[in-house]
Amino acid sequence: MKRFIARLLLTAIIGSLPLGAARAQRQAAPETLIRNATVLTVTRGTLQNTDVLLRNGKIAAIGRNLNAPANARIIDATGKYILPGIIDCHSHSMLDTINEGTLAVTSMVRTADVLNPTDADLYRELAGGVTTLNLLHGSANPIGGLNTVVKIKYGRPASEFIFPGAMPGIKFALGENVKRSSTPALPGVTRRYPSTRMGVEEVIRDAFTRARDYKRTWDEYRAASKNDKNLIPPRRDLQLEPLVEVLEGKRYVHAHCYIASEILMLINIADEFGFKVKTFQHVLEGYKVAKEIAAHGAGASIFADSWAYKIEAYDAIPYNAAIMTRAGVVVSMNSDSDERARRLNIEAAKAMHWGDLTEEQALRLVTINPAIQLGIQDRVGSIEVGKDADLAIWNGHPFSVYSRVDTTFVDGEVFFDRQQDLARRADLAKERTTLEQADPNKPAAQGQSPQRPRRTPRGHVDDDIEIEKP
Amino acid sequence: MPRVRLRLVLLVATFALLLIAIVNAQRSAIDTYAITNARIVPVSGATIDRGTVVIRNGLIDAVSTNVTAPPDARIIDGTGLTVYPGLIDSYTNLALPEAAASPSPGGGGGAIFFAAPQPRPAAGPNSSQPPGLQPEVMVEEIIRPGGTEIESSRNIGITTALTVPRTGIWMGQSALINLAGDTPQQMIVRSPVAMHVGFTPLRGGYPGSLMGVFASLRQMMLDAQRYRDSVQLYDRAPRGMRRPEVDRSLAALLPVLEGRMPVVMLANSEREIARALDLAAEFKLRLIIAGGRESDRLTDRLLKQNVPVLLSLNLPRRTTAAIPEADPEPLRVLRERVEAQQTAGKLAKAGVRFAFQSGSLTNISDLMVNVGRVIDNGLQSTDALRAFTIWPAQILGVENQLGSIEIGKIANLTVTRGDLFDRNSRVAHVFIDGRPVDLRPAAGGGPGRTSVSGQWSVNVNLGQGDTAITLNLQQEGDRLSGSITGPLGAGEISNASITTAGEVRFTVTLNVQGQTKEATFNGRLENNQIRGSVTIVGVAPGTFTATRAGQPN
Repeated sequence: MKRFIARLLLTAIIGSLPLGAARAQRQAAPETLIRNATVLTVTRGTLQNTDVLLRNGKIAAIGRNLNAPANARIIDATGKYILPGIIDCHSHSMLDTINEGTLAVTSMVRTADVLNPTDADLYRELAGGVTTLNLLHGSANPIGGLNTVVKIKYGRPASEFIFPGAMPGIKFALGENVKRSSTPALPGVTRRYPSTRMGVEEVIRDAFTRARDYKRTWDEYRAASKNDKNLIPPRRDLQLEPLVEVLEGKRYVHAHCYIASEILMLINIADEFGFKVKTFQHVLEGYKVAKEIAAHGAGASIFADSWAYKIEAYDAIPYNAAIMTRAGVVVSMNSDSDERARRLNIEAAKAMHWGDLTEEQALRLVTINPAIQLGIQDRVGSIEVGKDADLAIWNGHPFSVYSRVDTTFVDGEVFFDRQQDLARRADLAKERTTLEQADPNKPAAQGQSPQRPRRTPRGHVDDDIEIEKP
Repeated sequence: MPRVRLRLVLLVATFALLLIAIVNAQRSAIDTYAITNARIVPVSGATIDRGTVVIRNGLIDAVSTNVTAPPDARIIDGTGLTVYPGLIDSYTNLALPEAAASPSPGGGGGAIFFAAPQPRPAAGPNSSQPPGLQPEVMVEEIIRPGGTEIESSRNIGITTALTVPRTGIWMGQSALINLAGDTPQQMIVRSPVAMHVGFTPLRGGYPGSLMGVFASLRQMMLDAQRYRDSVQLYDRAPRGMRRPEVDRSLAALLPVLEGRMPVVMLANSEREIARALDLAAEFKLRLIIAGGRESDRLTDRLLKQNVPVLLSLNLPRRTTAAIPEADPEPLRVLRERVEAQQTAGKLAKAGVRFAFQSGSLTNISDLMVNVGRVIDNGLQSTDALRAFTIWPAQILGVENQLGSIEIGKIANLTVTRGDLFDRNSRVAHVFIDGRPVDLRPAAGGGPGRTSVSGQWSVNVNLGQGDTAITLNLQQEGDRLSGSITGPLGAGEISNASITTAGEVRFTVTLNVQGQTKEATFNGRLENNQIRGSVTIVGVAPGTFTATRAGQPN
């Protein structure tokens, strides 16, 4: 009896905690049965007139005429399409700051420290059927900061965005951004090393040499400290620790690059130090060295048709995706832009036009392929039983410019719904009116409309240059 | 001849010394005061409707309904007055040299990381770290007594302030000071009080981004832990061990890492506060949040990690009106301004410990106006008083010295005519360390002096005929604030002042010939008119005439 009361009390206490309550509520998210859709599974073909059941954040069943569990939310998707949540393998959304450009090697900085879960771009991306982002450091330096893979759980704290179990990664960058070709030299200001592609190579080789020494120092300490308790451990170096992880195969390298020679250069360094480049990003001349990229086992994450915006982008061709795919490279289409991220479906569709990829090959470019590149292919990237319920219902085939997203699910929960959005607009307008009447929002001088906060437009997509977010 | 001169010098010197002695003697002669027949709000206990507070030797000597004033006391008739503990401003840059404009959250908040030019961080000698990453910087070494900012704070009843280095990542260590005293030593109540962390990147070097700021904070704390271990090991047995390099910066972090000294982190938005909480949890720091505008959204975490908030009363507010064709403001910004007024009430309701601070208000007299808004938005006035007295005393670890009217505590008292938070109340007396402080004329000009507060119709002539604009002025002592609106644009005035002779001066941004330009107005108040000149760089000088249009809004 005593025990029973204690348990009852405990339950009451836990239940009364707001955090606990929120968690309980989330677990109780209803099961959802999407009926009679055309399911683009990506990995198992296209299924007509098929139901998909979402339960506990997972895809629980796929098939015809599934029984709806009691209390399940039922969505009639007749004439509609289900596509796995789109994965953007190169994004800078929700980052309060993108570049730590003061040094050539900034592997100690982490994008995870500067997440902004309230960034409105996230909501727009959900509205484009995107559910997962690879948030990368910018391309200001040869070795940049650590990445973060997130699920877009817009409205939740940043900690809930983190994709559990995604492979940690790091951004590298080669070429013009790194050597600062487009940054004007200011009189009296020393330009940051390196200024040439030779220098870029040297910086990376030097960093990995130091990382190898660092690892050895720690290994020696660990061996020696078994006998001698009085040893002071070596200094922990946050710059070199991630590079040791790269050497140990515990961290993926996502390398921004353009021209064939620098791609080969990085492959050579990787071979020299015994690590793998997981993805080449942008990789506009990838088609020239597709065999070498495939042999290294690297993926390529590219634009569909964006070029000529700087010297190193002159040799780009729109057949890049098709050529590399046929050479056996795992290719993805990324946005590198908060705007483009809303229409990655169309970027993928372009690969059918340029280079005649099949529909399935094109779909893979924004779903399972980026999942493979991020080491999350067992969780997302296709519609399969047991995978995370990250998907979107489209009102037409996602490769049509006339199609749009009706509903986007992340872990089985609705994070965007077109009807809800439309219904909410009147409330927001009402709220705006009320708020504008409120004292702190009244203009200092009457009769004039307030000023719009400044937002510096983003530079060209690829540049990854620092922007000011409002 | 030289001998005579020497004698003269000696004589003068003796006389001077004598004079100083007399002045000192006079000063210390009266150290006992009694405020009688006053309403007393001790904060620590029930309000005494009619009682006496006795101050002796800088301390509170007696508080009660039935105390009779000691015969040696100077008696202050407190009829109609209320005695409060002296107010504590829990985050300021008071008494620091090199005043610089600090960014105000008025416009809409956000973008703090990319804020305009920052003052240079204080730097210590022989540091291993660049300025801005020097936790060894101590405010007690750079504070200076006196100054108009201190006076302005005292005028509204603030007797004590936490003063914090202006900028930096590791900003340095703060001191709690009384706002009176002739030397820094007399002012300091406690030092150091806390370590301070801001997240503004350095200029011109690493870390140059918010990401880098977090990385360097982490790296320095890791280095400090190792430094401690090395020094301990070396001290035990130096023989045969290479001596660790002395590092004041890392040494200064040890009290922080060992939980002996709290760390105050500047964080306003929900995500900034969440990041600070994460970092504190990672290194087991005793965290205090300063700013805290959205801290009400994280009350669970604040309670769980036992983190108090030094809540800024620099409430965001629309400060400018813009060009007519401007887009409407985002909802987020509109919400933020309204919700900032509710934070204090929500913190109190949730049981999060907090204290008020002025948060670099450009006009300190807005502080009480803003408290009023906070009270209107759900904070009980008793809690508002606590957040100015006993709560900051507890959070800053001086609850045995300050924060309430109790026997033996430091005699810092704020005496008002009318309730402290009433908009019509006036600060009548301020006692600091048991001594009355001279108060300047209260806001609004004071008796025998014309106030220019109010709305003015201004005709500006820049050589192409008159342009009519409207000028709103608020006067506090010799300081002016206000805004303009009209065809030449709209905005806050700055660098505004009025002399006793009626010379009015301010600068404001105007739209002239399709460009925004800084205009300086210099005028003289006569017969309820201000006339003078307008100076704009690159434009021929103009004139203006202002006539009264109505009362202030």
